[in-house]
Amino acid sequence: MQDVTITINGDIVTGTIDERTLLLDFIRDVAGKTGTHNGCLEARCGCCSVEVEGDIVKSCNVLALQVAGRSVTTIEGLSKERLRPVEHVTSQSLAGMYAPLEAMGADVNDLHPVQVAFHQCHALQCGFCTPGMVMVMKNYLEENPEPTRDDVRTAIAGNLCRCTGYQHIVDAGMMAAETMRSQPDNSRPAPARPAHDH
Amino acid sequence: MRAFTYLTPSAPTEVVEMLDAHAPDARVIAGGQNLLLGMKDRSDSPAFLVSLGGVSELEGVRAADSGELVIGAATTYATLARMEFTGWHAEIASVCGNLADRPVRTMGTIGGAACAADPRYDIPALVTGVGASLEVLSAQGVRTIEPSDFFLEGGGTSLQPGDLLTAVRFPATEAFTTVVFEKFRQRVFDAALASTVLALRVGDGVIEDLRLTVGATTPRPTVCVTSTAGLIGQPVDAIEPVLVADAAAIEVLGPETSNDPPHLRYQRELIKSVTRRALIRATAIPRS
Repeated sequence: MQDVTITINGDIVTGTIDERTLLLDFIRDVAGKTGTHNGCLEARCGCCSVEVEGDIVKSCNVLALQVAGRSVTTIEGLSKERLRPVEHVTSQSLAGMYAPLEAMGADVNDLHPVQVAFHQCHALQCGFCTPGMVMVMKNYLEENPEPTRDDVRTAIAGNLCRCTGYQHIVDAGMMAAETMRSQPDNSRPAPARPAHDH
Repeated sequence: MRAFTYLTPSAPTEVVEMLDAHAPDARVIAGGQNLLLGMKDRSDSPAFLVSLGGVSELEGVRAADSGELVIGAATTYATLARMEFTGWHAEIASVCGNLADRPVRTMGTIGGAACAADPRYDIPALVTGVGASLEVLSAQGVRTIEPSDFFLEGGGTSLQPGDLLTAVRFPATEAFTTVVFEKFRQRVFDAALASTVLALRVGDGVIEDLRLTVGATTPRPTVCVTSTAGLIGQPVDAIEPVLVADAAAIEVLGPETSNDPPHLRYQRELIKSVTRRALIRATAIPRS
């Protein structure tokens, strides 16, 4: 057992962990941030992608010890204003809602442009892969603000989605890129845009 | 994963001391992208992990006085992909930016790929293809190993317990006019099913040096000798991509027979097409 300190979304988290603890397990079990999903555990599906000091990694294939003392951004760290906890809607009722964000009392301005684009383009169905998709997309778009659709597809090659067929995810990537170009300060996303017509 | 002790040295000599102290149960972990997968399914179960995370000396790129490009073994693919190299060295960045996927490239290192020596990885093929040498540190001191001695014919490497790969030394930009890497893979993030490296030096339209290497289809990359024999000294136009590629497939996998199993026939076709592509791409540059 070893004491490890990792800064997660700005919070300093210290835990006494087994050496075998993966970064993914540290984030979910020690820090309690369950937005990062445990998909395949073999670095294939990309659901567990998080940023370590601006670099994207698959947290299921990194030991917590390898990032000891460094800072990690998870999907929860993307929204500056934290969403109000969902108490009054179940996931089932949320799925049937026309405007789930509004039902949760959240404003689109609370979200990162990539999250807004995923919402507006309907780039998720079950949503399991979404935390990883969003993190990889954000990381990629910050490096390349003017991607083609093929570039976006290649960038998310390491993220698997079994629902959407990727079309809407690529749409969302293109829309987010446009927003991020017009709004270089990502902490203040642009107001809502009309949804794509599909 | 079986339990292990995690060690954090800060200098290469300290790494070697730790490896020696705990041999043969100690393994080096750089990015861990390959090692951790093996540890999870217990095909690898080292009792000690020696981390290179704090050994900054092993990261980064420098030019040696000889003009060689010395890449620290713990330099990640992501770092190399962002480099703006001159001449054929740009192909190194291009290879590193076009393998596995984005998150894996953040952690994966060039030395890790060389030590894993999986024939389907791009680095063993590239290192063999351009004749880069591998610098190894052990308690006995530093030694430099040629790829033909580093990668063993039956697969794996000649590294012994207590050896630490510290750098990969690529030849100077003058060594080749152009280096072309071509590969075929099923999905973007898959390892190659066949790859080819063509390193070419041309002076006044005449081939001064030519190295053709085929990777991913044999336990270690195969340097093609007979299929390129006689080309040195010839004008570039003398290269017949189709003929050379067909000969290379035979040289790597043996002559075609009517009993070839389907996977062998598939590999043959892949070798022909990636080699043809590499030859066409490489010879187009000096001609223009």
